[in-house]
Amino acid sequence: MAADLLPLAGLALSPDALVAAVQLLCPAAQARPDCDRPAVKVTVGDWPELAGRLRAHADLLFDLLETHTAIDWPESGRIELVYLLTSLRRGHHLTVFVDIPRDDPVAPSVCAVWPVAQWQEREVYDLFGVRYADHPDLRRLFLDDDWQGFPLRKDYADAFMLDRPS
Amino acid sequence: MGLVTDHLPGALLPLPGGGALLTAIDQVVNWSRANSLWPLTFGTSCCAIEVMMATGAARHDLARFGAEVARPSPRQADLLIIAGTIVKKMAPRLRTLWEQMAEPRYVIATGSCAISGGPFLYHSYTTIRGADEVIPVDVYVPGCPPRPEALLYGLLTLQKMIREGSTLARPGQVRRPVLAALPDGMTLDDVRAEIAALVQETATVDRKAAAAVGAAFAAQDRV
Ligand code: SF4
Repeated sequence: MAADLLPLAGLALSPDALVAAVQLLCPAAQARPDCDRPAVKVTVGDWPELAGRLRAHADLLFDLLETHTAIDWPESGRIELVYLLTSLRRGHHLTVFVDIPRDDPVAPSVCAVWPVAQWQEREVYDLFGVRYADHPDLRRLFLDDDWQGFPLRKDYADAFMLDRPS
Repeated sequence: MGLVTDHLPGALLPLPGGGALLTAIDQVVNWSRANSLWPLTFGTSCCAIEVMMATGAARHDLARFGAEVARPSPRQADLLIIAGTIVKKMAPRLRTLWEQMAEPRYVIATGSCAISGGPFLYHSYTTIRGADEVIPVDVYVPGCPPRPEALLYGLLTLQKMIREGSTLARPGQVRRPVLAALPDGMTLDDVRAEIAALVQETATVDRKAAAAVGAAFAAQDRV
């Protein structure tokens, strides 16, 4: 195994140190203490650069994008992108939140940093309608190609859906 | 004639014009069909693991009933076990698989999802409300997921249906055995009382006893 793939045992940062290290890279990042994992919220402008540094920085080494998903908040008119990051080499985790406007949901793609994001961003596009700039192949993933609408948006409705009889 | 009509009524095939043919071919054919079901495993979600795989594996051992030759190809199978949720995109594929199976073919739907859409009945944009919206189903096995024993019971029900099934005189006709009848001397109230007692029993947890069990395990671990 190449030396740069060996786990660096015992070098996980504590949650506070992790958030502090991220804030050093991106001063505008806000800590999110309401989450059960260390979590930060960053602006959509800061995110592409921060993503690359999270992966490359020797103390952080976030080499795995475990999951990417989104939350629809119709009341506040935003879609919150959620990135769950893991460092296999250091053994620590980080959640990153990025807000984008709901009426024009465009986000930067992080495929260049984590290639697995190609699939995950296609899924979020499929279900939430988030459009990723510079994604190489942004097509629907689970639903039929001619599907209308984005079903995990809270206001989604179609003729097939049944309402629970009250 | 009395012997045949009393003990082997199925072996008697009335012919037009009042004659009768003594035949056991139907029984032999149906008996062998019932005892050599080759399942096509159509597992799309949790039920596939909880019911189908568990039933095929060593503890429950589907092989006891002659249905262990699970085939991944519809051409070689005559029993389609639907285990799991069926979504809009999967439904045409399910139909295709069923059409590719040779006659006679049978279908068991296991789990609420395959019966009615189950937990995804309401507010789902894509779950099909039951496999029978797509293909005809012979036996339904309820549960979420059903116990492996329930699938075995479903299989035995299907075997009974096949044995009493289509004959030379009634090609393509099957009779569904009614197995829901209560045993003699038992009423619905008895069943309700028994279930209530069971629920009461399992809903009560003796924390001290549970802690003692946990401590015993931990002690074993340390040894
Ligand atoms: S019936 Fe329940 S266990 Fe079976 S597939 Fe549906 S949700 Fe899963």
